[in-house]
Amino acid sequence: MRTNILKWAGIFLLCVVLQTTVVPLIGLSGITPDLLMVALFFFALKTGQMTAVWVGFFLGLGQDLFSTSILGQNALSKTIAGYFAGFFNERVMRVDIVFQIVLLLVTFFLNDAIYFIVQVVIAGGGTGKVVHDLAVATVPRALYSLLFALLPYIRERFMPTSSRR
Amino acid sequence: MRWILELIIRYRVVVAVLAASCASLWMIASPPLRQAKTARLLTISVFYPLQITFDQMTKAKNIYAENRHLKGEVALLTAQVAQLKDEKIENERLRGLFGFEQRMPLDIIPVSIVARDPSPVLKSVVVNAGKDKGVLTFMPVVGEGGIAGKVVQVMPSLSQVQLIRDPLNRTSILVRRSRAVSILETENGIDFFGLFRTHEDVRDGDTIVTSGLGGIYPRGFPVGVVDRIIDERDPLFKKATIKPSLDIDHLEELFIVRLPPQWNAFRAQLDSLQRQR
Repeated sequence: MRTNILKWAGIFLLCVVLQTTVVPLIGLSGITPDLLMVALFFFALKTGQMTAVWVGFFLGLGQDLFSTSILGQNALSKTIAGYFAGFFNERVMRVDIVFQIVLLLVTFFLNDAIYFIVQVVIAGGGTGKVVHDLAVATVPRALYSLLFALLPYIRERFMPTSSRR
Repeated sequence: MRWILELIIRYRVVVAVLAASCASLWMIASPPLRQAKTARLLTISVFYPLQITFDQMTKAKNIYAENRHLKGEVALLTAQVAQLKDEKIENERLRGLFGFEQRMPLDIIPVSIVARDPSPVLKSVVVNAGKDKGVLTFMPVVGEGGIAGKVVQVMPSLSQVQLIRDPLNRTSILVRRSRAVSILETENGIDFFGLFRTHEDVRDGDTIVTSGLGGIYPRGFPVGVVDRIIDERDPLFKKATIKPSLDIDHLEELFIVRLPPQWNAFRAQLDSLQRQR
């Protein structure tokens, strides 16, 4: 239990460090992967909704505090994203890789949709803006993030545990 | 009340989502001023301690690196201090020698030791002055504290000095206080002694100087002090152990006294007498 907590704390910390240092350097036309979102997604799959909700909330809150977004905007979107992803907890149901990819994309959409809706409600705009932002920003970002999300799968697939020793 | 608690436990996930969402919405709906205040409060109470922890971890890592760097510096500085101490000692010694050179009324040749006798008991050394500087055989050699030996072999630019430690080297000595005369001797190169007649007044702590006899050393050069009188129940002689005033084990600089040895004149006279015959 303690090992798991430390492992995930380490993963989130690594994601925060990479997100703020390396990720901006590998952006393509201003589109960068969201490693925290990927980490939250896998965390939710592994641990379930309860923990994913609170981890999502505090991760989002942290992002809000250290970014220019409205306070609570990321907290709300990540709480919902964590809740949604946690619904497919591996202990409850078996999720294959294709389904995981679809789920990740949906989680991204859900997260960004809430984020953009809050943006529109506070700053003004319409449904069209939300859809436009989802299409322009979320799709490439989700796909780019998917490449990083596939890394653990690739490692499992091509470097089995026995050969990694 | 209990049923509320049961309801919360039963639907804890939903409650958690609602609580987190409500908190988020409350923050979103807050006016900008309150948002800033909340952000500041959260930063100070939750994230700032975390940041401090990470900062401390980073600092600890830096301290480790700094510690290693400082250890290196300490090692370097220690070496430098040791070097400076050595230079200080050398400086003091050279100052002393310079003073000795100034005090010395005779014409002297300052020399450095370039080679030492490999035997455990240092019996002779080679110095960096020879014929080129006017060194002659049997010239006396002195150090800062007293006599060191005599030149026994002269080469073009080097000379071999037989030290008083050599059992074959014997020096005529004199007790400064009582003017008792003897010969400075050694059997092992370490313990020096002089045999005096039993009636001679020789005491512990008496200063021993060269007597001027023997044709090598001029009179009055310091040799050492009487360390102990050994009464061996000899009716004729008593033995006085002598502690040399020159630290022979740590010789570095010496002075050859440019004094034509009386031996040369004596030999010249002997040669002329033989030729006359």
